[in-house]
Amino acid sequence: MNRGKELLKYSFTRLALAPLMLCLIATLVFLLLRIAPGDPVDAILGNRANEIAKEALRQKLGLDISLWDQYINFIKGLINGDLGTALINQEPVNQIIAKTLPATIELSICALILAILIGTIVGLSGTAKPEGQIDFLGRVYGISTYALPPFWAAMMVQIFFAVILGWLPVGGRFPPTLIQPNGSGFLLLDSFINLDFEAFKGTIRHLFLPASTLGILLSGIFSRAIRLNLNEVLRTDYIQAARARGLNKSQILFIHALPNALLPVLTIAGITIASLIGGALLIEITFSWPGIALRMQEAINQRDYPVVQGIVIVISSLVVMIGLIVDLIVAFIDPRIRY
Amino acid sequence: MKLIYRFNINNGLFLLFIFLLLIGQSSCKAYKDNTRIIIAGAGKITSADPAQASTFHAIQLISAIGDPLYRINSEGKLIPILASNLPKISKNGLELFIPLKENIYFHDGTKFNAEAMVFSLNRFIKIGTTNYILDNRISSIEALEPYLIKIKLTRRSSSINGLLTSINLTPVSPNAYKDHKDKFLNQKFIGTGAYKLTNFNSHQQRLEPFENYWGEKAKNKGINFISLSNSTALFAALRSKEIDLLLSNSLDEDQRKYLDQMAKKGELRTGEGNALEIGFISINTSTKPFDNASFREAIARSIDRELISERVSYNSRSPIRTIVPSTLAGEKLSPWPKYSPHIAKKLLRELGYCRNKQAKVDLTFRSNVPADKLLALTWQEQIKRDLPKCLSITLNGLESTTIYRQLSKGSFQLVILDWRGAYPDPEAYLTPLLSCKKINNATCEEGEAVNSGSFWGSSLINKTIKESEFLNGSKRLLKLKEVEEYAAKNIPYIPIWAITPKAWSQPNINKPEFDESGYLLLKRLRKVK
Repeated sequence: MNRGKELLKYSFTRLALAPLMLCLIATLVFLLLRIAPGDPVDAILGNRANEIAKEALRQKLGLDISLWDQYINFIKGLINGDLGTALINQEPVNQIIAKTLPATIELSICALILAILIGTIVGLSGTAKPEGQIDFLGRVYGISTYALPPFWAAMMVQIFFAVILGWLPVGGRFPPTLIQPNGSGFLLLDSFINLDFEAFKGTIRHLFLPASTLGILLSGIFSRAIRLNLNEVLRTDYIQAARARGLNKSQILFIHALPNALLPVLTIAGITIASLIGGALLIEITFSWPGIALRMQEAINQRDYPVVQGIVIVISSLVVMIGLIVDLIVAFIDPRIRY
Repeated sequence: MKLIYRFNINNGLFLLFIFLLLIGQSSCKAYKDNTRIIIAGAGKITSADPAQASTFHAIQLISAIGDPLYRINSEGKLIPILASNLPKISKNGLELFIPLKENIYFHDGTKFNAEAMVFSLNRFIKIGTTNYILDNRISSIEALEPYLIKIKLTRRSSSINGLLTSINLTPVSPNAYKDHKDKFLNQKFIGTGAYKLTNFNSHQQRLEPFENYWGEKAKNKGINFISLSNSTALFAALRSKEIDLLLSNSLDEDQRKYLDQMAKKGELRTGEGNALEIGFISINTSTKPFDNASFREAIARSIDRELISERVSYNSRSPIRTIVPSTLAGEKLSPWPKYSPHIAKKLLRELGYCRNKQAKVDLTFRSNVPADKLLALTWQEQIKRDLPKCLSITLNGLESTTIYRQLSKGSFQLVILDWRGAYPDPEAYLTPLLSCKKINNATCEEGEAVNSGSFWGSSLINKTIKESEFLNGSKRLLKLKEVEEYAAKNIPYIPIWAITPKAWSQPNINKPEFDESGYLLLKRLRKVK
């Protein structure tokens, strides 16, 4: 079988398995939510309502039917692309996701670009003189950013840049005095398309602290990965051969060594994107960033089953897709990889 | 190689710094529209529908964009707002006639009238999340004349007056809500209030003054309501002058104290409303040893409210010995047992503790409410100091939703809770905490006392509350006082403190004012020099 066919077969197998995996995830989330103590009625009415009111609301929300019927309804809806409506305010879950996902994606992309940029610079810096001072500082940076608790780092950044210096906003995604541009939900893009530069500037200002905090925290992983891989690649025979041929250091590093050292980094980037979409929670909470992770946390607190289920399904689908895309890119770039 | 490194790091860092500086220089203030006021709070508002609103922040928003039928003044008397006069009650007390003001318009330009009021009340009864507050008291609502409505009651109820002040009953335009008669309209609000809601998402709401408002007009040019997800962000936003006003009950106590100190120095202005929220400990009287009134009294007398209030809230929460806020009770009541470690010790000795036996009790608190946790920890330590050989407390932190689920199942011995009446009336505190439908030997088997976790029932309490529904004014308050005094002797709860709503504003904004229901009066906010 040639390589193209091999990759196609691999892609189809992964895609064919995705619905099964999503169904398993959906079932698991459905069950776990119901096992968790407390229900949406308690979250909505708190300790204020009597049992009759609670029962009436339970009935209204469709929580009085058997667990099996609830599950069947959920799966039926899922097959038809209907994720249900939020129990708290009857808003369709699809709409909730459409509103919050762009915020998270925007933040994740910016953070990832920063992380790769900083990670690459720091990772590369040590290669000039391995085990030297710069290399040592790069390693310390890598370990420190990796080890820093995100919520603490975010709060420190917030206090320094927003409170003490007053340079940047404390939280939120958009200046409260401006009107949010309509469009895709990606505010950078929307304000740019609408040529609303006030809004564009405001969006960047709000994005800057959360994205740079997240980017710096993630950059440690990249710098360590690049440093390790690069050191390994720089010791290989073909690099020695390049040196023997009289190529200069920059050519060796950037043309011959770096592309090969970046392959594992691509895999790490894939995993990081996937985890960012679902999990920049602490950053979103600290900076009041109205993304999907913050919405999911709110939905969990409110025991809003359809919202949690919907978000988990969408995130899982994205993770599956990103994983597949990264695998294919890696396989495409590196002919040694076989599936 | 070295050259490349130098270029990347030094120039990269330098460019990053310049970028930061540039962004910083077009500072927050550049985005502040000086004519508008930015208010931040902690609670996210998921819906602007009065039928859905149940959280403090949602009701705060609706109180700015909608009007109730009545408000309560500082003496506890009804003041007509959309009503043109006080309700007239039929001789049998089962019918209420409410005349309405004329020439009032909704934000969509349609006229407010009896039909609109009936539409809104029926809509709330049908789909309202908190429609249980009506407690099946209303059997029907009719528009008798274009500006007169009749509310038919299922039973006599003097507390219905308090209920008519509820902002959840604010009228909405039948025209705008015709497709939402039986479902929520989350993103819009078309009412009669001083502000129009022009933009809504769960994290930001934009309010514009309503030019055709019938009453006291807004003194500012618009309000932007934003929600930030944690206390530190709120505190930092006010300190960095990013927001004009901070309204939050969930602010950490240290930060509250700091803001109060800033206000004392004149760096901020501060205003507070009536303390209508109470914090208390619910005692499960159906379990041993709490089925013994002497044991309950010993526990109640062991708690040093003053110390706890000082340590936990720097005295911002006032210690109370009542379950009805004093502004509603008509006088300052303190019928519940006072702190006295000596009496507590004596009672525990009489019950056989203190010598070789220590009473061990479990105290459950809501782990997601920081003040509850601090209260529990402080009380635990205070007991170790005051009654080391007699009593020990084991703490148990659980998420609030779990506690609410388990409360009526009798899972907790002692649990820290809070309560805010659905409307400003003593009955909105006494009935939900004390009434009971089915009593068996002083244990409530079905009813409100089960839902609040005390399981204490008394037919005398039920009878007295019922009697109070036939009375009005001071006679009614006196009757309700009897209810509380009787409950205080039996100690199904331990009232701890009253929680005051508070707001802090920048010095260029006037002092925040609250209405009698504890909501900030947004229309009175204005920029000052």
